[in-house]
Amino acid sequence: MSEQIAFWILSAIAVLGALVAVRKRNLIHGVFALMIFFAALSGLFLLLLAEFIAAVQILVYIGAVGILLLFAIMLTERVAGDDGRRMTSRGWFWGLVVAAAVFVVLLLPAIQQWPTPEVTQAPDPSVEELGHKLMNPYVMTLEVLALLLTAALIGAVTAAQGIRKPKEEGSPE
Amino acid sequence: MTLHHYLILAALLFCIGLMGAFTRRNAIVVLFSVEIMLNAANLNLIAFWRYGDNPALQHGPLFTLFAIAVAAAEVAVGLALVIAVYRHFRSVDLEVMDTLKEE
Repeated sequence: MSEQIAFWILSAIAVLGALVAVRKRNLIHGVFALMIFFAALSGLFLLLLAEFIAAVQILVYIGAVGILLLFAIMLTERVAGDDGRRMTSRGWFWGLVVAAAVFVVLLLPAIQQWPTPEVTQAPDPSVEELGHKLMNPYVMTLEVLALLLTAALIGAVTAAQGIRKPKEEGSPE
Repeated sequence: MTLHHYLILAALLFCIGLMGAFTRRNAIVVLFSVEIMLNAANLNLIAFWRYGDNPALQHGPLFTLFAIAVAAAEVAVGLALVIAVYRHFRSVDLEVMDTLKEE
């Protein structure tokens, strides 16, 4: 019973947070709504007994991605978005229609088999098994991921730095 | 709570993100709409793991962990690209960036 109440509250917060994040004109407010959305999703992961993923969600998304988005917004223009320019793109109506159509299509399989078989064994929520799995069969994936993160770090620095002007040789001091 | 509740919630969140990506003009808002979609997909993965056949294999958390790491890399590179584009066009408006469209 309490699980159901928690599910409904968290999903309402998640949906509202996502809607506000997407529709808000002020980008800073939008990012804070996005952080609320991430926090609600972390709570949903806890309800699904994925403790470690919930912690990672808070650390990575709220801690890193949110702050990074805030910095990017402050480095670019029009933070408050109060200059009366159009917020939506050309053809926004068709975007809305396509999003609604995708929602219906995603909903169809779930509705067709509504009486679902009731489950079953609850997974062991401890992190220990996850750690063993990461070390034994998936260690190669972990290493590739580390390589990818390093490459992304270098790529991000290079892209944000822009084209460096060639240094003049022997310029007067 | 059944699997269907989580699947419908994830579908709704995914479509909110899709709506944002399709209808907003600001490149940063489009980027965080994509993040909302990625999070909805992660919720699906975890829900299928929780209500699936063999949760002891830990496939759901492992896959979600990798997806989160790749998404973090994507955000870092995406924001760097947004800043590079801003330096070039003096704007993050997606309708200004139409260099490839001109004949």
